[in-house]
Order: sequence, then C-alpha cells, then structure tokens
Amino acid sequence: MRKWVILLIAILSITALAYAEITVWSSENQIPALEKIAADFESDYGIKVNIQQVNFGDIKSTFLTAAPAGEGPDVIVGAHDWVGELAINGLLEPIPYLPQKDEYFPVALDAFSYGGKLYGVPYTTEALAIIYNKDLIEEEPTTMSELLGMATDIADDEIVGFVYNVGDFYFSYPFISGDGGYIFKDTPEGQDVYDIGLNNEGAVAGGKLIKSFLDDGIMPQGANYNLADSLFKDSLAGFIINGIWATPEYRNVGIDYAILPFNKITLDSGNNPKPFVGVQGFMVNAKSKNKLEALEFVVNYIGSFDGQKAMFEGERRGTAREDLFNVIKTNAGPELYDVLMFSESASIGTPMPNVPEMAPVWGAMADALGLIINDQDTVQNALDSAVDKILAQIE
Amino acid sequence: MSRKKIISLIIAIVILGVLNSMAIISISLIFSDGKTALGITMVILVVLIDLVVLNPKYYAFRYMIPAMILLLILTFYPMYYTFEVAFSNYGTGHLFTRQQTVQKLLTEYFFVPENSQEFDFYIYDNYTDYKPSDNFIILLKRKSDEKLFLANKPEAMAWDSEGDISLAKGVMAPLEKDKATLKDQTFITDYDSESGNIVSFESNNKNYIYFYSPQDQSTKANAPFFYSEIRGKWLKNVEYTGDNYKLRLNANTLFTTFITSDNLYGLINEIAEEGGRVVQKNKIYNKKTDYILPEEEGYFIDKDENGQNFKVAGYIDYVGFKNFIQMFTDPKITGPFFQIFIWTFIWAGLSVLFTFAIGLALALVLNDRNMKGKKIYRTLLIIPWAVPAFISALVWRYGLFNETYGVINRFIIQGIFGGEPIKWLGDAFWAKIAVLIMNTWLGFPYMMTVSLGALQSIPSDLYEAASIDGAKPRQRFQKITFPLLLVTLAPLLVGSFAFNFNNFVGIYLLTQGGPAIAGSSTVAGSTDILISYTYKLAFEGRGQDFGFASAISILIFLIVVGISYFNFKLSGSFEEVNR
Repeated sequence: MRKWVILLIAILSITALAYAEITVWSSENQIPALEKIAADFESDYGIKVNIQQVNFGDIKSTFLTAAPAGEGPDVIVGAHDWVGELAINGLLEPIPYLPQKDEYFPVALDAFSYGGKLYGVPYTTEALAIIYNKDLIEEEPTTMSELLGMATDIADDEIVGFVYNVGDFYFSYPFISGDGGYIFKDTPEGQDVYDIGLNNEGAVAGGKLIKSFLDDGIMPQGANYNLADSLFKDSLAGFIINGIWATPEYRNVGIDYAILPFNKITLDSGNNPKPFVGVQGFMVNAKSKNKLEALEFVVNYIGSFDGQKAMFEGERRGTAREDLFNVIKTNAGPELYDVLMFSESASIGTPMPNVPEMAPVWGAMADALGLIINDQDTVQNALDSAVDKILAQIE
Repeated sequence: MSRKKIISLIIAIVILGVLNSMAIISISLIFSDGKTALGITMVILVVLIDLVVLNPKYYAFRYMIPAMILLLILTFYPMYYTFEVAFSNYGTGHLFTRQQTVQKLLTEYFFVPENSQEFDFYIYDNYTDYKPSDNFIILLKRKSDEKLFLANKPEAMAWDSEGDISLAKGVMAPLEKDKATLKDQTFITDYDSESGNIVSFESNNKNYIYFYSPQDQSTKANAPFFYSEIRGKWLKNVEYTGDNYKLRLNANTLFTTFITSDNLYGLINEIAEEGGRVVQKNKIYNKKTDYILPEEEGYFIDKDENGQNFKVAGYIDYVGFKNFIQMFTDPKITGPFFQIFIWTFIWAGLSVLFTFAIGLALALVLNDRNMKGKKIYRTLLIIPWAVPAFISALVWRYGLFNETYGVINRFIIQGIFGGEPIKWLGDAFWAKIAVLIMNTWLGFPYMMTVSLGALQSIPSDLYEAASIDGAKPRQRFQKITFPLLLVTLAPLLVGSFAFNFNNFVGIYLLTQGGPAIAGSSTVAGSTDILISYTYKLAFEGRGQDFGFASAISILIFLIVVGISYFNFKLSGSFEEVNR
C-alpha cells in the first residue's frame, strides 16, 4: 500500500511540474542547429522546445493524420511543396508577420505563399546542377551541344558520357522549361492551374532534346537515380545531374568533380535550362494550442539573421536570406564551393508549384517521359496526353 | 456459497467495475469527438462483456469474448466505416466535421475594424513572498495619443479538453487623475519621483509592481515568467472590453501589442424551405461585410475585397451516391475500366495457373521417393516466399529487368542468345510478361507447399492398385493424383485468385501500373489492375479522396465476393465442406 501512495505522489508531482513546451518535428540533419536555437528560446521564454526526429519522408503524411486529431506537433520542418495541401486542409497557421522580409530571396517567400498568405519561414533553397568528372572531362562546356559532343567523345563500352534519372520529371524539368515550357501559368492572382504549358513549343523542344540523349546513344536505356549515381561514383560517367545532397559522397569516394550550374550552360536557343527550386522551412500547426509560442519561435528565432546563420552552419545548404548569403559569399573558402555553385543554379530556377494540383503532374509527366524515352509515342503526342491527364485529374 | 467463491466474485466485480468506468470515459470521449459509429461499437462490446460476466445463463459464452472483440473492432467497424466514408466527401480539404469547422470559424478568425487602435502594454505584478505571482494588472498605452488605460486580470470563461483556458475575458478603463476603477476595485498610481514613470499601483493594500513589457529590454529577465505563467495561461485567448474597445493580442506585431479586433465570422439561423418542410439552418456570416457565406461542395465560400470567391474552410459532407455515380459515369474513369477489368482477370487467372503448375510440378518431383536431398531443395524453393515481396520486387525491378544493366537482358538475352535488349518495363506487352514472371516467382512456393501437403493425404493403396492394373505414371497422375488433389486445393486456388485480383504490391512495386498507354488521357497504365488504378485515382490526383476510394473498394469487394461465390459453386467446394 505504501508503495502505491509513494507512486501516486510521484505521478502527481511530475504532472504539477509539467510546463508549457512546443514540439518540433524535424528530420535528422537540422537537429544539431535547431538544438542551439531552441536553447536560446528556452532561456528567453521559459518554454521548452521539444525536438523530435522524424524521417523527412514521413513528416507530411504523419502530420496529415496526427494534426486533425489534435495530436500533431506545433512546428514542422518541411518542404514548400507541402504547403498547398496542408493549407487547404486547414492545418497550417499563416505567418502573420515576418520582420526583415526584404532580406529574403523572393523565390523563397513565394515558395511558401499560398492564396496570398505566407505559411512558413524558409531557411534553405536547393536546386539541381550538372556535375562532371574532371578526370574524364577536361574543359567545362558552355552549351548543351558542346556537352553532348564531349559526352559522345568519352563514351566507350564501359564509360557513359551523360547520365541522370531521366524518367523523373524533377530531373528532366530543366530541359522542358528551358525554352518556355511551364507547369501552371503565373498570374497576378497566383497560378492558373488550368493554363498548362507542358506541351507548348518550348516543352516539345525540351522533350526532343531528352529523346536525343537516348537516340544518339549518349545515355543508356533504363537509367534511374541509383544507377546514374553509382556510375558516377565508379568514375564511369562523365556528366550527371544531381543535387547538393550527393556531392559529399562523391568526394568521399575520391571523384574529382566540378559543378556546372544551369546558369552557365545554354541550350541551342541561347536560353538556360531552368531547374526546380525546392525550399525548406518551418511551418506552424493551425490546430496547435501553443500557436503564439510556435509563431514566435519560428519568426523570431529561426527567421532572424542569427537563426538562419545557425541553421546554415548546422547544414551547409543554400540559404534563404540574401544578406546571409552575401556574408557567406564574401568569406567563402573552398569548403563552400558546392553551396555557392548550387545556389547559382537555383538563382535562375523556378520554385516547384506548391498548389495541390501539382500532385497529378508528377505521374502524368513521368508517363510522358517514359513514352518518349522508350520510343512508344512521339514527343508531341506524349506531352499532349500528359496535359490531358493533368486536366482530367484536377477538374 | 463458499468464502473462496465470494472473494473471486468480488474480485470479478471490482475488475469489471474498473473496466466499465474506463470504458465509460473513453466512450464519452469518442462520442464527443464525433465518432458515433466507433462509440456504438464500444457500447455494444461493453454491454456484451458485462452480460457474459454477470449473467450465469451466458457464462458459457465467456470464451467467445476475445473473438467477439476482434470481430467487432477489426471487421465490422472497418466495414461500417468504409461504408460511411463512401457516402461522404472525406479527403483533402474535408478533414473536419461541419461542427468543428464552424467552431473554428467562430473562434479563430479575427479582423481589425476601421479606425483601429493599437496599444503597448506593461505588466504590473503583485509579488507574494518576494516572488512574482499570477496576480497581475496591465497598463495599456494607446499608441496614437499615449493615453493610458488599465486592464485587470481576466476571468476564465471557457476551457479546452485538457483544462487550459480557451477564452478569458477582462475589463479595461481609462486611467484618470492617477486612478482607475475596474469592477469596483480602485487602483491608485504611484510614480517614481525621479523619472516620472509609473512604478506601481496600489489597491486594497496590495501592491502591483512594474514587471514586464515586450517594449522594454530592461525587463527581459522577467520574460520567462511572463510567457509561461502570465501570457501562457491568461492572455493567449483574452478579450478585453471597456471604453467602447474590444482588444486582443495583435498577431501582426507577433503579440507584442494589443489591438482592437473582433471575430470575423458570426452565426445566424436561417429559415429555409427544403422539400416542402421549413427547416432552421445555422449559417456563417461575415461580420465585416454582412455577407452570408454560401456552402458549396462542402466548403464555406467567402468573397474577398475584389469580389472574388474563395474557399474559407471545408468540412466533411454527406454526398449521397455521388461517389458511386461518378464511378459509372465519369468518362475519365469508365474509359479504361473495361480494359483494366479484362487485364485484372487475365493477371489473376494466369498468376494462379502458372504458380499452381510450377508449384505442383515441383511438389511431384519432391514427393518422389527416389529423390535425394529433398530437404535442401525444399528449403531453397521456399526462399522466394520467405523474402518480403517488396524487397524482391525491387531486386526484380532494378537488378533483373533493367534494360541496359539488368541481368536478364545483359547476360541472357544479349549474352547467351545475342538478341536485342527487351524493354521489360518500357513496353506494354513485355511489362505484362514481367509482372507475371515476378508474381509467379513470388507465388509458386506457396502452391508447392500446399500441393506437397495434399499429395501426402492421397492414400498410397490407390497407387498400388493402379500399378497392379498396369497404369502408367501419366495415367496415375491424370486419374488419381490430379482429381484428388483438386478436391483439397480448389478452395485455395479460389483464394489465390481473389488474392491476386487485389494484389496491389505485385503490380505497384514493379511497374507502378506503367508503362503509360500511348495516346491515353487517363492515368491508367498498361499493367494497372483495378486496385492499383483505384489507388491512382484516389491518392495520386489532387490530394486524397477517401470517399471515392471507399466507394471503389466496396465495388471491388462485391466483384471479389461474386467471383469467389461463382468459383466455389463451380468447383463444388461447398458440397465438400458440407459432407
């Protein structure tokens, strides 16, 4: 009996001690930096920040299940293309006020805006770029034709000139968009999801260019992400398209690589291929009981120059604040080469649409690219079908 | 009654009482959460358990309780739930009930009226034993003219389910002649003689000392107490009224000031005629524009400043047979339906045929008495079944079927036969062959195992008699083995057919339903079966559409039931079971 009484008292005293805290769901890479920022917040506010590690791929789906039931975290760290779906479900709290808004890259704020409201505080931007193996490619190409010529020259039975995850719309988008292909038309009132430019002249030209990679034997059939990545790692590929997440591994296996951002290479038309820009940031749960504290944490502690700097130091990715970027750029040593190059590539990119209507685009365009790559249909027909599919699904 | 019996009865009743009280709490929570069906299921369960335990007549059924619990919770409730969802628009944009959405509109949307006033604020705290307490008052400074007001500690008006204050109301009054009166309590100002700042207020022998202001960096040390104890508990959802003002914390300065604001939406009852009956409906109206929000397709629609309609918030709405009608009338769905339906049959049928043929052949070999090393072969042959399907599917996809680097093309087709590489996953015909090959590989060990078992059950005297009659091995197989095997295995084959009919993993992990059909404007791919097509329609379109997915799964359920019934009838399995 006494044991029970002691236990009961222990439980009661624990609940009495419980104080307000905000919970953040973040993936692994941001946690060291977040812990530092959270410690500042805790000492200023007397409110604990509880950082929970959740796999990046699970954050959105788990949040969609947990938040409506009132079980979700107060803050999530995620990608800007979640915003449309989460906002339309009433699960995101708009950011009412962000000081020093002008210091952010406009593309980063646009990416987190939906229906005229800002739904997140961005902290990093990323985009694809071309990476090449300096042992195989001696001179940096300035046009796609040059690149393809060099790729053809170095190719033999084993070595592949140019390879990337060609069937994936995310990776092939730079060529589709370079000469004027677009997903949804930008209008002053936001994106017009019924005006789709994925089968216009520019997109078709891009599709034909992609088809030529395979038809001319520059790229092997059946290329996918892992295949391309491992060919490049084994020094068996000249050029690859990939993101900043891939380069540490290339360095580790001893590849002498250089990065060719998309703003430094042109298509035959003279335009640059334009990659997608992905932005990551902090979003606040609309069903949270601690909205005030969560907003203060996100705006004042993550959004500030110092907060963004800490995030950058924790994980070296392109930053969302221009003033921080300039500071980094002027003091950059060789260790920041990757970041600066990928940031340059992002500078001419377009943010991935964050509207929920984007979801069917991925599948429809993967279908179209599959038909083009496997020579099952003409480029024009394949892209026309893709647009029809998208329209049929968003109606 | 013996003492022992009485004690055990008391224990039983105590346990039952604890269980029941826990059940009542959870059931009331479930009901208040709006999950009526789950609540009813739980009530039925609790009543059944009580009946069985308390009524000696039903005591014999006590062993059935666990089965009953599982049946109700895992079978009947999900079935009912699927049915309920199929008649609703539950999905992206419609995650909350109308009641929840109305509540949100009424309590979480604010607007700042014209000629708004903003106030800086200064907290004055009544210390007890030299420690700050949560007894405080607030000095408000109107930004436009620096006029001072005083506000009291608010009173809690509403609490949320966890006992925290969800609405607090307080009063404010102007500070005149160094005095302010709030609810019959007068506060007297005390100035610092040097700086002229207000250092404290005095009322009923209590002293309120200047404690914190977000505008004043010198009070930063007191911020943690303010945020956790004062604002965190009392001011988060506060509404101050007085002097024709209604104040709230200002979100646009990130809660560092107060501002005049009001709820954007209000509730009115509208009398409407529906089907000849007069009904009262609660409607939401915009207090700023007096516009009554129409409701369309489960959304509240408001107008912005430019007169443009926009969706404010959505809710789960009953849509009747809409999802079912859409299934049969929408050309983007019905167009490829027939083609997919045929392929689903071919896929399930051929999968059963191939796995059974190979499984049976291997079983016959393994069953041969002269066979050496049976155990090793049997173990090796079980492996495809033991490896999780999603892992082997990836191996097939990336390792074996890859066009350039895959083992099949590189070493077999090109290496041995010197042929052209096959587009295993890029060509409609070959993709179908590829999924069938993989599914056969995944499925034959099961068929082999059950065939082995069934072979054992065939009496050996039949074979002896046959060999005396001079029957050849082939005749023995045709006349004895196969017919007797089929008696045992027919229900399993039907089951296997039904399983493959819905074998989402087999398709989705290898081809995702692709490759696309050239010239088609629907999402259906060449290898899509009904269930993978359904998945694409419901979850890869614009967000998630649980309502539509439930409707299709009911249809698929009916199809599978129909096929299975027909198959059982045809194979005579019912008769076998009855005999």
